[in-house]
Amino acid sequence: MSTYSPRYAGTVTKYIFVESPSMTPSDLAIRAYEISQGVMIKETCFGLQVTGKEDEVNRIIDSLRALDPTHIFVKDRGFPPGDPRRCRANLGGARPGYFGHEFEIGLIRRISKGLEALPSRSPEAAPHPPAPTSVKRLDASRLQEIIDSQES
Amino acid sequence: MSKVRIAQLSCGPEYSGVQKEIDTAAAAVDAEIFFPDLKLADLRQSFDEFGLNVRSPDLKLAIARAKALVEGRVEADAVFIATCFRCAEAAIVRNELRRYIHENSSLPVVSYSFTERTTSGTLLTRMEALTTIARRRALLAREVQQGLTMGIDSGSSTTKAVVMRDNKIIGTGWLPTTAVIESADEAIRRAITEAGVSRDEIEAVGTTGYGRFLVGEHVKANLIQEELTVNSKGAVFLADSQRGPSTVIDIGGMDNKAISVQDGIPGTFTMGGICAGASGRFLEMTSKRLGVDITELGPLAMKGLSRKVPMNSYCIVFGTQSLVNALAAGSSPEDVAAAACHSVAEQVFEQQLQEVDIKEPVIMVGGTSLIQGLVRAMEELLQTKILVPHHAQYIGAVGSALLASGFIKGD
Amino acid sequence: MAKVFLYPTTSLILSDLVARFGHTPLSAALQIRERIQTPGLESPPLQITPEGPKKGLRWAAVEVPSGVRGRMSLYGPMIEDAEAAIIINNADYSFGCMGCARTNELINFLIRKKNIPLLDLEYPSNDEEGVEFVAAIKRFLDGLSGEVA
Repeated sequence: MSTYSPRYAGTVTKYIFVESPSMTPSDLAIRAYEISQGVMIKETCFGLQVTGKEDEVNRIIDSLRALDPTHIFVKDRGFPPGDPRRCRANLGGARPGYFGHEFEIGLIRRISKGLEALPSRSPEAAPHPPAPTSVKRLDASRLQEIIDSQES
Repeated sequence: MSKVRIAQLSCGPEYSGVQKEIDTAAAAVDAEIFFPDLKLADLRQSFDEFGLNVRSPDLKLAIARAKALVEGRVEADAVFIATCFRCAEAAIVRNELRRYIHENSSLPVVSYSFTERTTSGTLLTRMEALTTIARRRALLAREVQQGLTMGIDSGSSTTKAVVMRDNKIIGTGWLPTTAVIESADEAIRRAITEAGVSRDEIEAVGTTGYGRFLVGEHVKANLIQEELTVNSKGAVFLADSQRGPSTVIDIGGMDNKAISVQDGIPGTFTMGGICAGASGRFLEMTSKRLGVDITELGPLAMKGLSRKVPMNSYCIVFGTQSLVNALAAGSSPEDVAAAACHSVAEQVFEQQLQEVDIKEPVIMVGGTSLIQGLVRAMEELLQTKILVPHHAQYIGAVGSALLASGFIKGD
Repeated sequence: MAKVFLYPTTSLILSDLVARFGHTPLSAALQIRERIQTPGLESPPLQITPEGPKKGLRWAAVEVPSGVRGRMSLYGPMIEDAEAAIIINNADYSFGCMGCARTNELINFLIRKKNIPLLDLEYPSNDEEGVEFVAAIKRFLDGLSGEVA
């Protein structure tokens, strides 16, 4: 095994997803470049990846989130952007985590609705999720009755 | 030559620290691993359609990727299926996908269950066979040997050489492998002497087996090729079963091969080589214990009944101990010989033959196929008649000589 | 600020909401980042070497497949750090780090065994459930501020 020397040590990378009727990923990118101050910004099909020192990345994220708070979502990423170990161009297909994003992005507008609706509801009125229901099964003696009635 | 593209369907190698080993083995045979691309919607639809309702998402992904390959939505030259050793869910998926791809496409496929200790060396012969099948389909389609050619099989236990002319074997040489090159030289000397030809007259040479690279370089071979494809070719040639399906079983000195063959080309195969108790070595040890030559073990076993000797282990150490105990307790050498054959056959049956579809004819090859007791034990386990062609011990050398004739100048 | 374990650990939605409401999401990405940024032996893609499954022996026995143990070398430390957890129970399409059902069963069990504040949810299937989902998470996280110092 050969030795491994990491690149981008000491940095963090975060994904910024935008799923908004009023803002596209490239709109977001333009705003990000304006305030990047040397932090690495990479535009993607779903939003951005921002790589740099943690406090600088957080500063950019706070500014961008403020643009459209209920439609911008942020998550940490383990790899720096364009890393050949994760890049679709090298792997032939998407890395497995991509499908997880694809799945969540498919329903994220419901989260946006929640974030929009919540402040207008009083804490008491905020709904509770329904308690998990247990499926009631047919009583065994009742089943016996049915069987008997079929046989007679 | 462009790289052979091998599609990987897997669960767990990145988390077991072995993905690099897979990549390295592929790179060593000028192939590259890739992951078929899909959309989530395709993934869900393909998984639902396939109908094997597993819970692990990465196995769902593997199923969907297999479907994309079979349906031609993604192109590949070969398929490598890899999942964690000891995972039952993954083993079911591995087997079903292997069968599905084999039955519904012409893609060569090999499956493997890894641990964190799997190395690229272990995977190399499998990857080489995959790429050979993908790259050399035209060569592997050859059914007739032409001209004057020689094949050398440098095995871990024995070295074999065969000289062929116009589709017939005219000389053979066989001896235990000591120093790889010297053993090859001696096998060649014996084969060309019997054939009555000189070394210079030979038009093309092929090598295979464990020492194929070393010997291949030494004899300036035209073709150096792993034993999975070569043995398949040799087996169907000798058994006169070149068209249609067949199953080739080769219990070797160091590893065993079970190959599901279609028209002389391996479709799926397994290679096992961890346990000496499932190899020809175990039978060698048994014959030494019984004080008979290995050639006498087979006839001896045919006269015995394996079930009369309790075997507590498949292990070459503890299994041999069982045999010694049985002899001490009064068991006959015949029964002990039969029990040893049964032990090897049963272990190969349980651990390897479950991973390939057994289709008739079943052809047993290699030196161990000459031990009739072993063949009988395997027949009992498989409930089928097994074909052992004449010259079965020369299978690799014959396959090499046959394929090498594709390299005769002007051919 | 509580360290909140997420299930699925790769969830964008959970990671975002936990951070948004002022707590620390324990995301799988942090464990991967640590490996990607640590020098050692090369083992792409995730820099989990064969040592990973051996470290995983702390949470799963040697008879457990290597992929489970390798994943547990990521999740074990996260479970130990967790002060609260949010679990989405119908996360059937989370791949890669969450790609193994056996590992997922084990981490689900271990996190429940810890007796820390825990919220069980399902992905919302309509807008009203979206509101319920976000409200439940906010209520849960607000409650933690009192419980966890």
